Amino acid sequence: MKTADVIVIGGGLAGFMAAAVAANHGQKVTLLTYGSGSLPLMSGAIDVLGNTETPDTAIKNLPAHHPYKKIGLKNIDSATKFFCDLTSQANLPYVGRLSAQIPIVTAVGTLKHSCLVPESMDASNLVGKKKIFVASIKGLKDFYAEMLVDNLKSHFHDSNFEVAKIDLKLLGGRDITCMDAAQLLTDNEQPLANELKALNASEDDAIILPPILGIMGSFSRSVVKTQLRAEIIETTCLPPSPPGIRLQRAFIRYLQKSDVKVFENSKVVRGVVEDKKVTGVVVENAVREKIFRGKKIILATGGFYSGGIQMREFDNPVEPIFDIPVFFPTGAENWSNQQLFSDKPQGFSMTGIFTNENLNPVNEDGKILFENLHVVGANLGGCDKIFERSAGGIAIASAYKAATI
Amino acid sequence: MEKATVVVIGGGATGLGILRDLSMRGVKALLVEKNDLVNGASSRYHGLLHSGGRYAVKDQEAARECIIENQIMRKIGKSCVEPCGGMFTRLDIDDEAYEELWVKGCADSGIEATPITLDEAFKLEPRLSRKHVKSAYLVPDAAVDGFRMAWQLIDSSKRYGGQVKTYTEVIGFDTVNGELRGVKVRNQFTGEEYEIGCDIAVNAAGGWAGFVGKLANVEIGVQPDKGTLIAFNQRIVNHVVNRLHKSSDGDIFVPHGSITILGTSSMSVPDPEDTSTSREEVESLLKIGEETFEDLRDFRILRTFAGSRPLYIPPGGAVGRSASRGFAIVDHEQDGLKGLFTIVGGKFTTYRLMAEKMCNQICAKLNNSTPCRTAEEPLVEEVSQADKDRAKKFFPSYGTNLAATRLGVERFKKVVERLENDPESRELVCECENVTRAEVEEICKDDTSFIVNDVRRRTRIGMGTCQGNFCALRAAAVFADMGVESTAKDSLTRMKEFLQGRWKGIRPVLLGRTIRETEMTRAIYELSMAVRSLEVGVRSYNDTKSTPNSSLLIPNSKTGGESQ
Repeated sequence: MKTADVIVIGGGLAGFMAAAVAANHGQKVTLLTYGSGSLPLMSGAIDVLGNTETPDTAIKNLPAHHPYKKIGLKNIDSATKFFCDLTSQANLPYVGRLSAQIPIVTAVGTLKHSCLVPESMDASNLVGKKKIFVASIKGLKDFYAEMLVDNLKSHFHDSNFEVAKIDLKLLGGRDITCMDAAQLLTDNEQPLANELKALNASEDDAIILPPILGIMGSFSRSVVKTQLRAEIIETTCLPPSPPGIRLQRAFIRYLQKSDVKVFENSKVVRGVVEDKKVTGVVVENAVREKIFRGKKIILATGGFYSGGIQMREFDNPVEPIFDIPVFFPTGAENWSNQQLFSDKPQGFSMTGIFTNENLNPVNEDGKILFENLHVVGANLGGCDKIFERSAGGIAIASAYKAATI
Repeated sequence: MEKATVVVIGGGATGLGILRDLSMRGVKALLVEKNDLVNGASSRYHGLLHSGGRYAVKDQEAARECIIENQIMRKIGKSCVEPCGGMFTRLDIDDEAYEELWVKGCADSGIEATPITLDEAFKLEPRLSRKHVKSAYLVPDAAVDGFRMAWQLIDSSKRYGGQVKTYTEVIGFDTVNGELRGVKVRNQFTGEEYEIGCDIAVNAAGGWAGFVGKLANVEIGVQPDKGTLIAFNQRIVNHVVNRLHKSSDGDIFVPHGSITILGTSSMSVPDPEDTSTSREEVESLLKIGEETFEDLRDFRILRTFAGSRPLYIPPGGAVGRSASRGFAIVDHEQDGLKGLFTIVGGKFTTYRLMAEKMCNQICAKLNNSTPCRTAEEPLVEEVSQADKDRAKKFFPSYGTNLAATRLGVERFKKVVERLENDPESRELVCECENVTRAEVEEICKDDTSFIVNDVRRRTRIGMGTCQGNFCALRAAAVFADMGVESTAKDSLTRMKEFLQGRWKGIRPVLLGRTIRETEMTRAIYELSMAVRSLEVGVRSYNDTKSTPNSSLLIPNSKTGGESQ
């Protein structure tokens, strides 16, 4: 078996990004994935640092142990550019920059602010709209236009809201999710376009929709948009999330074009270690074990959600492949907060691996454990990425750095 | 002024049993509850319909009461009882001499305890520890759904004119010359205070009975005794599995539908409102549970919860596990207050008997000689096969019977009509528990639904595998649309409050796959739905609160790292 330049373990946003960047830099890349990663769960937007108006300056003020401090602003910036190029080539254009936040409308009618936003979700121009239509699609589950309007109204006092009943003849069986509708509408956009045209919305108006405009980039959106005068804006939704899946597909297409060898359903169970170097990883499938050899290994197996970090007993979190020390807060009081939606980070969510500037995992004394192993994405500890809304930014930026080192 | 002959205070099993019994005897009765129904020990328990085996050595009177009521409950509350049977297993570490006493105690109390071989035991309960289990017996234990029993008690009471007011707290008593005239109450949502006139009031407030007593200046010996339980996401046992030893913590497993409940601990607490649970309590329950089922930690824990048993402490009596599980009725005429009774102690299995004895005394005072019929008449009529067949066209087949027993004849009919007429109402709001939108809509409309949690207790939304991840949004939206109470419109608050309620039980068991579910909850609601508003630009990242404190984080010394 040939030795790959880079083995990436994990098929989430960080793993895809690392594989894409490494391939783009001329490396021979093997990507080992198991399960579907967390992209089908995500909103579609890349949050870099949601707690602040200007992420780029706020990143400078982060504490030293924060993953962004190890990654550095330059890499964050390059990662952002690479990501926008990749998605734009895939006809899934993203808008935004590190120095500002763009609002998007959530399925419950709150506003979410994020750095990199799919063009279809950019709600910057909602301010000042005369009339905002919210599409209520008959038979579509999980999208409640009345609730959305009730909550969104408080942000746009000067606009008139109208719930627009749209019938796409979705009924038949039960339980049609946004994902189902997006799939049905792909290459079959006209019924929706016709319904929306009938609203007679003008340039001064906007139409808010659940994210059902196809699953292939922004193709379906363009078909519908050219037939309307008003702006159309997609919201977030409960998983499975079409915007997340569009992004997943954009990456998969890019990796295929770049000759990345993707092995699905490949669960890495341990590493082959020689002299502080990981020379390969052992993959277990239904029948046997197989060794993949690589010069550089990128660990992108995720945090607790994806199983990259696990904890069977209290106060004993582990990284199951390389047994890298996991940093965590001890004791029940520090492990979690009384409030689920708390005004401070959740301890369990800060749990993860600590690294040096090259993203090599380190132990308590800061000693490097494996010279050619780099840790990216949700495996990294030291911050609550959900609380500070940084999961996407850390994923793409750490992946970019690990792939270009 | 609103009037009733009898006001029942407390919406637990005892109070609801009294409401039903009085209503069936033709007494005009009204029940007030300061929270939602069965919010105390009547739902925060194992859901075990005792055979009496647990009391066969210590308290044979209680054991006999249990086995009799057990048989009655199976008859009148057929759809609330899962007749799974029970097993008592003695482990190698348990006292052999106790086994003999127990066998004799069961025989003396009229409880059929059938010895079985270990082979049979392992066949019936494959996960039992081969290492520790030394002997096993089958007994007629069963699982009982406290929520469903409560709604059926109400439906039955309402048929006979009984009334219920939830979120209505008693704040005082109106007495004239030592005689009760009425009960003063406060609406928990509006704050409105008013009086309900009555001849008799029954304090059936369980762990809160002492507080209610104080309002009337009477002393009541009740000690809230907290028990903590763990709900697992799998059906680990087929039977109720009890440890055959002197009653202790963490020694009973009860299967309920697709989950298993393990409990419980016993701890005296000053406040019945204290339903907190801790990591230590969970750890201790798991440790004991592991003795019977060695692979217990491989099962995902859904949540933990606690409730307070209202133990009756007669003057100078024992507390904790040694306290009697029996009950007491006090006529406060002896304390100079004519018309007030207190009923305290007892256990869920015998609530009907307690209610009967209480109502006998009340009816004697009222010169009402109608006999008690609660042991003969089923709680609810059964939903007809024809209605079930109509429903089966739209319900997931597994859900039809569950919904039928949950909803009862009338509401089930209405739900089926919704399903037939409105195709959109066929979607599932809760996939885990198979709850359709039609059912949630119907319950949201109910005048006892003030918050989404009230809808949860009646429908089981959010009580399954995902603990509200998906249904919180849907339920809040349907509630905002259908709810008749003014509280319904604030959908974001209702949604967050619902998820926070789930979080309370998840926090102490935040390990293993439970963390994963929680990260999903947070990803959906904090990231995709942005329910925690940030007001960008107002809060800076440098707020001390939001800066992660790295000194909190230490490396896990149990892992190797270098030593590959």
